[in-house]
Amino acid sequence: MLLKRGLRISLIALGLVAAGGFIDRLQAHIVPAERLHPIAESHRRLVFALNLNPIPWDMVGDDLATLFPGGVTKSARAALEAGIEAESSAQRRAAAQQLLDEATRSVTGLLAATLEEGKKHIEDYGKASAALETARQIWASFEPAVQATDPIAFRRLGQCWLLMSSSLGSPGILDLGAVAPDARTFREEAEEVIAYVRGSFSGITTQRSSRLAALPTLSETFDPQAQPPVQLPPGHDINKQLPRPRQVLNMAERGVDEGETALIALGDMAFDSSFIFGEPARSLAISCNTCHNKSMTNPGFFIPGLSVRPGGLDVSNAFFAPHANNGVFDPLDIPDLRGIRFTAPYGRNGRFGSLREFTRNVIVNEFNGPEPSPLLLDGLIAYMLEFDFLPNPLLEADGTLSADAPASAKRGEVIFNRPFEAMAGRSCASCHIPSDHFLDRRSHDLGSVAGSGDDSRDGALDTPTLLSSSTSGPYFHDGSQPTLESVVRWFDQHYGLALGAAEIVDLVTYLETVGGGVDAYEDTIYTLDAELEEFSFFLSTFELLDARGERDLIDTTLRTVALELRAHKWDVQDAQYLPLLEEMASLMDSAIQANLEGDTARVRERVAEYRERYQENAEVLR
Amino acid sequence: MSQRKATSQRKIGCFAILVLLALPVGAADPAEELKIVFIAYQNPNQLIEDVRPVTEYLEKKLGRPIRSFVATDYAGVVEALRYGSADVGFMGPLQYVLAHEQVGAYPILGEVYNGEATYTSRIFVRKDSNLDSVEDLRGKTMAFVDPISSSGFLYPLDIFKRKGLVSGRDDMESFFDRVYFAGGDEQAIRAVLNGFVDAAGVGQYSFSLLRPEERDAITEIAESLPIPSHCVVVRKDLDKTSVARLRSALLALNDGSDRRLLQYLYNVDGYVEVDASTYAGVARLAKAYGFLRRSGG
Repeated sequence: MLLKRGLRISLIALGLVAAGGFIDRLQAHIVPAERLHPIAESHRRLVFALNLNPIPWDMVGDDLATLFPGGVTKSARAALEAGIEAESSAQRRAAAQQLLDEATRSVTGLLAATLEEGKKHIEDYGKASAALETARQIWASFEPAVQATDPIAFRRLGQCWLLMSSSLGSPGILDLGAVAPDARTFREEAEEVIAYVRGSFSGITTQRSSRLAALPTLSETFDPQAQPPVQLPPGHDINKQLPRPRQVLNMAERGVDEGETALIALGDMAFDSSFIFGEPARSLAISCNTCHNKSMTNPGFFIPGLSVRPGGLDVSNAFFAPHANNGVFDPLDIPDLRGIRFTAPYGRNGRFGSLREFTRNVIVNEFNGPEPSPLLLDGLIAYMLEFDFLPNPLLEADGTLSADAPASAKRGEVIFNRPFEAMAGRSCASCHIPSDHFLDRRSHDLGSVAGSGDDSRDGALDTPTLLSSSTSGPYFHDGSQPTLESVVRWFDQHYGLALGAAEIVDLVTYLETVGGGVDAYEDTIYTLDAELEEFSFFLSTFELLDARGERDLIDTTLRTVALELRAHKWDVQDAQYLPLLEEMASLMDSAIQANLEGDTARVRERVAEYRERYQENAEVLR
Repeated sequence: MSQRKATSQRKIGCFAILVLLALPVGAADPAEELKIVFIAYQNPNQLIEDVRPVTEYLEKKLGRPIRSFVATDYAGVVEALRYGSADVGFMGPLQYVLAHEQVGAYPILGEVYNGEATYTSRIFVRKDSNLDSVEDLRGKTMAFVDPISSSGFLYPLDIFKRKGLVSGRDDMESFFDRVYFAGGDEQAIRAVLNGFVDAAGVGQYSFSLLRPEERDAITEIAESLPIPSHCVVVRKDLDKTSVARLRSALLALNDGSDRRLLQYLYNVDGYVEVDASTYAGVARLAKAYGFLRRSGG
């Protein structure tokens, strides 16, 4: 039953009881969510949310309720209201800053009070250890920022926590092995931590990047030049599906040697590379493949404040590319890219006529990347043009159902093609034209988008294909329809089609049949050998890039292989090969350095050595 | 602390007191509940939900009601076994040895992880530390997990004793500059990662608590003797029929259609039969390090 998102969830849930063994034996590159105390979780999420525009005030309100367990203070409530009603960016930022200041003060107070509780009960192991554990978890609110901006204090405070833990002693097992507590040490170390948090966080710094952050600016050892780490808010999930979607590449299906399609290989590398994006996507290792995993939509992708539901993202936001933020929270369902060469125009409202324009916009304006070179874009387009729909034996070439389709689907096909008076004599097939990949390449306003104002005409959306759709949910431009059945019911209700219960079943069966296909997912959760093969594919582009003197793209390729190799190496089932995998990654490091120095001969040598290592060991690296 | 127990929580403690009714001890009565106490490291309510399929399976196999409890520390498990408010518990090796000494509880099954019924402790250091052997840790700082832990204290400390670097628990600071008990496997190994200490002695699986990108900063420099795995322990007076049926029902999970239930039992691979002799080495070490009374072990 460990399928797809089920496994993703299990990794987290079962980590509860068996964190070590479970992670060891399964996919190490699937990163379980960090377990945080509700206070730390809310504080970190608040910092993230207050930097967005628009600020998700509902989320902020929920987190404030957690951060003020005794009730949100009057001044914090006033700041929240001021933020919601702000009429200028200056007012909004002032309110956000005040809220962060108040919330941070509350957290430092909670941390101090919890440690005081530990001090008070030091002779009662149960109470003292519980208080210490809670305090340490609340400390996680600040830990990453302190580590980055005040490393000296971070180290000293780390030792404080260790000393407090040690000074608890142990009650033993029915007195066997008991160790007496050391109240004095606990008190001294607790007081040092309390003094630090109370004394260092009274001000909120806006860094040079103008991001709000809770930083220990009043600490004597604070480094004003240091930047706090880029972090996604707690509750995010950017892991990819496991088992992986089965990708159908046209040239591979035709038996083409992938090592001889250099431009496609370049595109494959770029699609998997966070280095074609800018910050913060690059530091977060987000690539095209994160959202469009193996060309299929990633239904679990979620970032609080930027997603309204899993599988969607507001791509014009203040976090990933502030310069291109449109100031509106308008998350979109992540599009499925299978069969994309047949589905122009692009964008949910069909705003881009060409895939090239669309792709450039994603890189530059959605994920803050540098202007891509023509060759890089050529590669990405060449790669994406190979994405095929899942093969579907139940469909004929003209989009009609084959003889083997279930009877219910065939009845649904009739309904699909039936003109409805309520739809001005049109049928479902009028827009989702079966013979043209179930789309009409036009945009229509069906009333599923709230307009910008009275009589506005901004609700038209591009007709989506229905092919491969049974695995591309949720549906509609904003992912608001979770299933194909809910889509059918929406049309039935919206247009007053008066479909009977049996007709709805038949229509849904038809859609599932049209949207189905063979083997949507790979049959294994072990992917290292496939990944390594793909890295070789990435490197097959090296001779092309070398011949053209494309040092920047060589750099991107080598960095991508090194990063991906290190992310995936922990999946190896026989740990004795970990050093070999690290050696291969190091060869890429060395090649990167040589490329930077312009030593092309050494780059070639390292790439050749990498290939040699891989060829020698491909059979055992699984 | 253990192969399954690489957790971020302090595991030995008594901050949550298990209040259970003491029930009379008797022979296997089909109507009588078999009471199982599970140890929870993070979220007791969630654990009870997680183990429900297992208790349902055991009810069917044993033909009697199963009542499950959760304790958040081993002291609670031992108390429950002592007073008969639990018949069955799950324990680490050292905790079992101490429980046996105190209340006569005995092991019936050992857990299998990654195909092994044993695991080890390891000494981890930062790769950039220039510390290559345990001898290099003289005058350095050391983090263990907890004063009562097999893989988080007893066995890693034994690595130093076998090298003649320490003689026991009482003279650790004649070798190390300072010794800490971090309170959890994750805290201990992170203390190394973050440079709070020079080395940590923890269970081998603690390494996997680090995020993949963090693991490259850490390496191991020594490994302990094999530690027999965690075990299923029953109270001293539990009738033999119940013990035999329970053992048989859990062993049956190793193969067959109910194997999936193992994921709810701390995600073990399966069980092997054990008895007190399996843990004789642990008892010897516990005695040598002063955990047991002179007549114990």
